[in-house]
Amino acid sequence: MITAGIDLGSLSTKVLILEDDDILSTSILTTEEEGALVAKKAMDEAIKKAHISFEELKNIVSTGYGRRLVPFAKESKSEMLCHAKGSHWLFPKARTIIDVGAESSKAIRINEGGAVEDFAGNDKCAAGTGVFLDTMAKALEVPLEEIGQLSLEHKGKAQISSMCAVFAESEVVSHIHKGIPRNDILAGIHESIADRIFGMLNRIGMKNDVVMTGGVAKNIGMVRALEEKLGTKIYVSEYPQMIGALGAALIARNSK
Amino acid sequence: MILQHFEDQESGIMNAIKKNPESASPRKKLALETARLGKRLYSNADDLVWAGPLVPFDLLNAMEVTPCFAEFIASILVSTDAGPLFFENAEQAGYASDTCGYHRMLMGSALKGMIPTPKLLISAMSPCTGGLAAMENLARVFKKDLFILHIPQKESDHGVRILANHIRNMAESVSSHTGKVLDKDRLRKAMENTNKTRDILSNIYKLAQQVPSPVNGRDLSNFGIVLPLFFGTEVGIEIAQSFYDELKSRIKANRSGVPGERIRLMWLQNRIQFKNNLVKMLEKEFNASIVIDELNVITWDPIDPEDPYIGLARRSISSPLNGTVERRVKQIVKLAEAYKIDGAINPCHWGCRQGTGARGLIDSSMKEIGVPVLNLEVDCVDPRNFAEGQLITRIEAFMEMIESRPSPW
Repeated sequence: MITAGIDLGSLSTKVLILEDDDILSTSILTTEEEGALVAKKAMDEAIKKAHISFEELKNIVSTGYGRRLVPFAKESKSEMLCHAKGSHWLFPKARTIIDVGAESSKAIRINEGGAVEDFAGNDKCAAGTGVFLDTMAKALEVPLEEIGQLSLEHKGKAQISSMCAVFAESEVVSHIHKGIPRNDILAGIHESIADRIFGMLNRIGMKNDVVMTGGVAKNIGMVRALEEKLGTKIYVSEYPQMIGALGAALIARNSK
Repeated sequence: MILQHFEDQESGIMNAIKKNPESASPRKKLALETARLGKRLYSNADDLVWAGPLVPFDLLNAMEVTPCFAEFIASILVSTDAGPLFFENAEQAGYASDTCGYHRMLMGSALKGMIPTPKLLISAMSPCTGGLAAMENLARVFKKDLFILHIPQKESDHGVRILANHIRNMAESVSSHTGKVLDKDRLRKAMENTNKTRDILSNIYKLAQQVPSPVNGRDLSNFGIVLPLFFGTEVGIEIAQSFYDELKSRIKANRSGVPGERIRLMWLQNRIQFKNNLVKMLEKEFNASIVIDELNVITWDPIDPEDPYIGLARRSISSPLNGTVERRVKQIVKLAEAYKIDGAINPCHWGCRQGTGARGLIDSSMKEIGVPVLNLEVDCVDPRNFAEGQLITRIEAFMEMIESRPSPW
């Protein structure tokens, strides 16, 4: 049975096509135009890569910020559920998931069957999300892809006290003016996000194993800062930004 | 402008009912009476008293003054076109944008001259100090006196006696500021009316507990907080009776409030006061019904019409919003069990002790009986802070979570 999951996020749109237990293809496009259009383009690309026709897809489930904008999805599910399903499939021992995407961060606790038991998320501010890190990288004039590695090379950690994205940026600028090395500033930024996520994890009651999903999980500095804060290993798949789409495809597969 | 709003609302509802008498729902009846109350507030014809939510409105109604609690008018004003402007006024005048939206709206509109001048203001020390501060500010804007009602935190005979005397003093103060005398017969009649309304409300809440519930997520929203404005009046009895009759007829016709009810929810504290799609989404996509609002509860015994002050004092003290969080949490757990809810939604209204301060204690107590709580972070009054998409995601995930677990009952 071939199914697809589509995760229409605020910054990127991901499609994953699944045949039973095999991932046939994935695609990822920047969400820079109308949701329905980018959804179709991402789906066309994934279909082409999988060498199948659209008609061969038995079921399609959408998730993500724009999940309701995908005209060809049979049903839509929340990101929490999809990240839970995708993570549990890849890491059956996973009990806690940290999902940090472009504009939201979430902590999800699941049971041994992969069902969501509790969750918490950021509601008021973009601080602690991918967009926040992007802004910080720009302020430091460092490519986003390099901030993780650079932060690991720190000697000290700059204090980022504010958890407001706008105020944090001005703190970073102030640190730059004081001549604090950017590695230290980056380490401080990651630590401040880890502190915030730690708060969410405490609210839901963290249990091992911990898995991190979402594009920010590709940032090694962020993962290490979290491991240090939580005192536990964090498991990250090769394609953390695809986990929502994977979960959606799994739900599509298991849907009656 | 605001008077026109209430006049339009009243005539709109009257015309709709005239055209189609079948459409005369209890919710419309409540809206009609609140529009009429609004008209009285803004017509300058009556002696007006602004009061806090725990003040005995039936006593004020018996004195033939027009009482209204300030948060009520704030929630009405937010739905007018000028709503955002009033928030901006408050912020420009120095009220922090993350303080309670009710009080910001109140202050912003008062500074713009959109709140009618009362003869007196009455505030209680409970439920919130922010409310008291807002009333103090209003008193200064209007250059009018503020009577502060000290509500004891615990129900003890001593505390009840003190508050009863204090309510007497309050009535005397209203009398001296308005010239209205508290007639004994009118007071007795008002208390009889209050007791009748109380009995009907009690029966309404019993009906709402049925599985499936005859109420939908909108029927009784804001009910327990708005209806006390009409306590002591015939209108209060009529409104309550119309809700009871409607629910009874739904049960007779075997009709649940939400067709195919699958998930039963409790809404904590107060609703989101501006237009939004959340309740509709819950009903349509998840067959989920808000069967109980936390404040839709009777926590007090009937009041002795011959000696009402003791009963009025006990009622104010017994409010779930008065006293310790622990007492409130016990009440919430009791409601969760009585209504057999599958989950509770706490909007955690910005800048509010009841909304946000209590959430950890509510969560852990509900967890003990197997009921999950969804904590949102919503400004229930200021739509400028409303991110509906994000809230829908949270609520959807919460519904999916409830669906995947066994019922706590």
